[in-house]
Amino acid sequence: MSTETETGTETRTGSRTRTGAGTGDDLRTPPPRSATDPRPDPILALLARVTPFLLWQSARRKRREPRPVDRSLRLVVTEVRQEAEDVVSLRFTAADGSPLPGWHPGSHLDLDLPSGRRRQYSLCGDPADRTTYRIAVRRLAHGDGGSREIHETLTPGTELRAHGPRNAFAYAPGGACLFIAGGIGITPILPMVRAAAAAGADWRLVYTGRSRATLPFLDEIDAIGAMAGASGRVTVRTDDTDGIPTPEQLLSGAGRGTSVYFCGPPPLITAVRDAFPTTGAGGLHFERFAAAPVVDGTPFELQLGPDGPVLPVPADRSALSVLAEQRPETGYSCRQGFCGTCRLPVLAGEVAHAGSPTARRTDTNMLICVSRAASEGGRITLDV
Amino acid sequence: MTATEPDNLVLTPRDVQWDWTGLPMHYIDGDPFTTHFANVLNILLPEGEDWFITVFQQAVPMIKDDRLREDVIGFIGQEATHSASHQTVLTHFRKVGFDTSPYTDQLRWFFSKMLGDRELTGKKAQGWIIDRIAIIAAIEHVTAYLGDWILNAEAIDRTDHNPEILDLYRWHGAEEVEHRAVAYDLFTHLDGRYRNRVRAHVVAFPVLVYWWVRGLRYLMAADPERIAGRDKPRFRDWFRASRKGVLPSPKSLVRLYFGYLRPGYHPSQYGSTTQAVAYLAASPAARAAHR
Ligand code: FES
Ligand SMILES: [Fe+2]
Ligand SMILES: [Fe+2]
Repeated sequence: MSTETETGTETRTGSRTRTGAGTGDDLRTPPPRSATDPRPDPILALLARVTPFLLWQSARRKRREPRPVDRSLRLVVTEVRQEAEDVVSLRFTAADGSPLPGWHPGSHLDLDLPSGRRRQYSLCGDPADRTTYRIAVRRLAHGDGGSREIHETLTPGTELRAHGPRNAFAYAPGGACLFIAGGIGITPILPMVRAAAAAGADWRLVYTGRSRATLPFLDEIDAIGAMAGASGRVTVRTDDTDGIPTPEQLLSGAGRGTSVYFCGPPPLITAVRDAFPTTGAGGLHFERFAAAPVVDGTPFELQLGPDGPVLPVPADRSALSVLAEQRPETGYSCRQGFCGTCRLPVLAGEVAHAGSPTARRTDTNMLICVSRAASEGGRITLDV
Repeated sequence: MTATEPDNLVLTPRDVQWDWTGLPMHYIDGDPFTTHFANVLNILLPEGEDWFITVFQQAVPMIKDDRLREDVIGFIGQEATHSASHQTVLTHFRKVGFDTSPYTDQLRWFFSKMLGDRELTGKKAQGWIIDRIAIIAAIEHVTAYLGDWILNAEAIDRTDHNPEILDLYRWHGAEEVEHRAVAYDLFTHLDGRYRNRVRAHVVAFPVLVYWWVRGLRYLMAADPERIAGRDKPRFRDWFRASRKGVLPSPKSLVRLYFGYLRPGYHPSQYGSTTQAVAYLAASPAARAAHR
């Protein structure tokens, strides 16, 4: 607490969760007028006099409980279709037949699978069709089981709960576009291509994958490519005949100012991002990685205050997820160690710091989303 | 255009990095007034946005709408990276002998003491959180306006300017446009009464203007490279800069003030998500951010 009031903005060391429990005393003594005039600042002193009135008003105001909002959707599978080797598409309608929420290209749906897993899939149907959602899923033999569950258990008539649609890969129409899709990465791109073609925009699509047999929606893409004015806009290149594409090849259609939309396997996205600045293209749109699950973690303990309860943190969970379960007011946002909003002061215990040092401000704080105890079974006492 | 404007955006912070070595003192148009008008953002926002975060974090458990909660959590991260990014400019200023701490100390006192948590508990604490969310919603009306303004301020591109700091302002502006409805929607969820919304705005706006003017005067006087005769803000400098298109005009701020009073107001009616999304794809800092 006291560190928060130290002068000099670079020395900000406090954790946000504990700031600002101003006492009457602090209020009566505003900071000095200026560096050379130590008298309390008159305007701030005046404002300090108004505050009790604001608080008094605030306490008198009538409050109401927020109305709970349930935005989840009940969907039913209407069709499962083989689109390519290991790829099926699924169509859903609302279980009660009502119109579905609208969406824009790039949006995804969060599906609650019967096993309890929640997975995100891009919508690859027609945004104008308010009765049907379509997704496509590639079966990943070595994935975490979500795609296998969909392939093996979802059949027409299956009911599911879903959330969304939400958009983490928005399409911003205007100007020339180069769409690059790697394999199943075609799903968010397909509605964008359709929108661009319908708007008569200047667009190109590069669609790449192992072989033609593994690429879904080639027929639909051919149909778009065969539309008036679309000839030569689509390039399908497969590793078996054209070799593994270099990022330069993928980006070769990007002229000055072109907007590039990329969706594909993570190694390819890194390569495309690295090569992008040399193209002179206008912008690069891609979906950012979400927080990765904890791997190679070791279990440790979290104590909430010197005399507080001790919570075990298992190897596969973060301190943040354990603490937030116990204390819903725990702050966080990025869960990747750079935003600093989960920063908490440490009272005791040795921390293996991870994440950005600037975000944690000092080594007496800890970014609980990514940092763990230095040793297996160690205990960290947080000032919460 | 509205038909194709993307919505329901997932809000996430971006891990941007900045390096200010070689930043000229008067980095827009070589003009102290214009530059310090913009610099107020750098001294005002680290404290102000930290305060947003403190308040919003406490509101999270009160939210009974999953989507809004996700939005608020994304908003918190974005504001945190804004605050930290503007802070890097202050760190640079300090290195080159430009001390801003007298102002930021005052400001910190204002946010953390006057507008802090005040040792309230229970219903009173919750009410005070909601009142402060109303203030934040009113301020976000201004930041969204400024964000939209800077994204469209092509006149700046034609002046002699530092492109990296312009990217800082435009990246921030684009995220302000991107999340412009979150504070308003949160206020609507928790309270939503017109009277409470407008009351907060009517008070917050002039106080914000006051802190702006105060910051501008401070910066112009403390500027280590100040030019004699041009070390005080003057109205005519503002008129000149806004005519040139390198600052928003006084008139547009008056319009902004009254715009929030409209009963049918919603932040989505102002600014363009499409433009913000396009800028975030083009921004060198946002593009370089791997997360
Ligand atoms: S949540 Fe962003 S640093 Fe931990
Ligand atoms: Fe911001
Ligand atoms: Fe904001």
